[in-house]
Amino acid sequence: MKHKASLSPTYAESLLSPIISLNGVTKLYSGFRALDDISLEIKPGITGLLGPNGSGKSTLIKSLLGLVRNHQGTGKVLGLQWPREVREIRDRVGYLPEDDCYIAGLTGIEAVAFMANLSGLPKTEGMRRAHEITDFCDIGEEKYRSVEAYSTGMRQKLKFAQALVHDPPFLILDEPTTGLDPDQRDAMLRRIRTLARDHGKSILLSTHILPDVKAVCDQVIILARGKVRVHDSMENLSKPAEPTLNVMTYGKKDAFLSGLDKAGYTVTTKTDGALKIIGTNIEQVSNIWDIAAATETSIRRLAPAQNSLEEIFFQAVSASEHS
Amino acid sequence: MPVHDLGYRKWVGKRNHQLIRPLYVARSGIMLIWRRRMLKLLLMLAWLPIAIPAVGIFCFEQGITDVTYRRVIIRTLQGPMERPDLAAQMLQDPVSIRHEVWSTLILGFFRVPQLYSMVLLIGLIAPLLISYDLRSKAYLQYFSRPLSPNEYIIGKSAVIWFFLGMITTLPGLTLYLLGVLLSPEISVVGMTWDIPLRILLASVALIVPTTALAISYSACTVENRYASFAWFATWIMGSVAYQVLTNAPRMGRGRRARFDMEMDMERWLLVSPYHTLGKVETWIFGLDTGESSVWPAVLILLTVIVIGTFFVRSRLIGRLSV
Repeated sequence: MKHKASLSPTYAESLLSPIISLNGVTKLYSGFRALDDISLEIKPGITGLLGPNGSGKSTLIKSLLGLVRNHQGTGKVLGLQWPREVREIRDRVGYLPEDDCYIAGLTGIEAVAFMANLSGLPKTEGMRRAHEITDFCDIGEEKYRSVEAYSTGMRQKLKFAQALVHDPPFLILDEPTTGLDPDQRDAMLRRIRTLARDHGKSILLSTHILPDVKAVCDQVIILARGKVRVHDSMENLSKPAEPTLNVMTYGKKDAFLSGLDKAGYTVTTKTDGALKIIGTNIEQVSNIWDIAAATETSIRRLAPAQNSLEEIFFQAVSASEHS
Repeated sequence: MPVHDLGYRKWVGKRNHQLIRPLYVARSGIMLIWRRRMLKLLLMLAWLPIAIPAVGIFCFEQGITDVTYRRVIIRTLQGPMERPDLAAQMLQDPVSIRHEVWSTLILGFFRVPQLYSMVLLIGLIAPLLISYDLRSKAYLQYFSRPLSPNEYIIGKSAVIWFFLGMITTLPGLTLYLLGVLLSPEISVVGMTWDIPLRILLASVALIVPTTALAISYSACTVENRYASFAWFATWIMGSVAYQVLTNAPRMGRGRRARFDMEMDMERWLLVSPYHTLGKVETWIFGLDTGESSVWPAVLILLTVIVIGTFFVRSRLIGRLSV
């Protein structure tokens, strides 16, 4: 009898099926639409949740956890009915709040073990797990100090440990790198990547820091004025609408520009002086080399252009302001 | 990175049932408060008054057979305890008043030393419970777990229930046990079997409404000192108001007229938490001889429980929605 190594259909489906699907979620605060008919599907992986202040990011997160009520809409989170099964959802989600929050009087290790106990881990097991996770989060011997004496960075690491202690399959991290120095920020992003890539956790990363999103996220959601303005994978978003090349030159730029113009290329100049040649891709560069040779221009760098996340973000936000 | 860091590892195991999770809220609160030296001292001091009613029960039991003790008991019943009716019966058939004497002594223990200890204890610990969580935004941590506001309130209340139980219920039951042990015969159990149940019921009447009031003050503010102030002010102002309202009609009369004047002392007892609780506890111990019904006082206590709990709940939900 032959055995075929294959994934079971349910497991394979779980990898492909969205971890969150929301339909028509609306939340009003005294007439103000904090969330305005949000419908989205979030696939497994690391998802960046971006948006200006007051765009509804925190409200969306709190709604997912059932921390804010009286909202309209339905959905599924990790296969559970939302908002009906919100308690079960909380059991499977690790949440790192943006706010500086701690339980006064507890030491770091007690605070993490306490969260483990609240998530259902038995007492001894919660303490064992708390030690394991505080080591993973590099809290070190500080775990024996009272949390009130912690620095902002330490509190951030502690909240991360608390979010992770019950081994949830899905993490919601609200501004996890705020208050961390560059080394700690890199370490935090490394941990996030490790959890997603090596341990199969899905992560919703809400942040204002675009480089963080660029560094770790697979997909991006941009919220503005309570609506989803952009929702796509990083790969798709970074692709320009038309094939475009970025060219950095050395020498007579004007002659090179007129040469390109004569050849029918649309060219714009970027703020750093680089040229953006729209409508051509890397396979069609021989013409450009010819024009450069003819105009005695030296090309220092030539690469396919990618949309920057900053551009996408500002476009989405400004579009929402004009709508 | 610590040398023993194993990296991230999955956790596999059986989780506790959701129903026992509020116990962890209570356990953590008790653990935090237990670290305060002042509280340990207060708990020890709260047990000292148990000696007085214990001696009273011992003297009463000895007085059944011993004339010397009987004289002491009669003097006490006529004097400090203000029960001349019991003193008269003590002469004729002391065994028949055993239940009433025991109840009176235990009620006295509940009414005076334990109630003052309770006010002091709650004033020290309750404001720390919710106002600290509001100040440090710990509620975000609690409610991101499968914990409902009601379970949180139960967990926090259980911290106060535990400490109040330590200074009221436990000494009350110990006092009863001491009474049984100090009695010359074991048959006292048959006559007084209901007293432990009354102690439990009186403890519930004392603990639950006072806890609801205390945590609602604690949820009012992020400054625990304001909550403490409001708590002590409620008890002091209530008692002062009661004294003023019951004594005001006597003012302006001659000394003798004042002494002779029949007063309806129960008319204003609902303005004072101390006297409201006293009315209910006296009724629970079967010693209520007042003319007014106990139900307004019971209703007041139930209202405090319902409104207090509802207020804390709405404060927590309101905080989460910001």
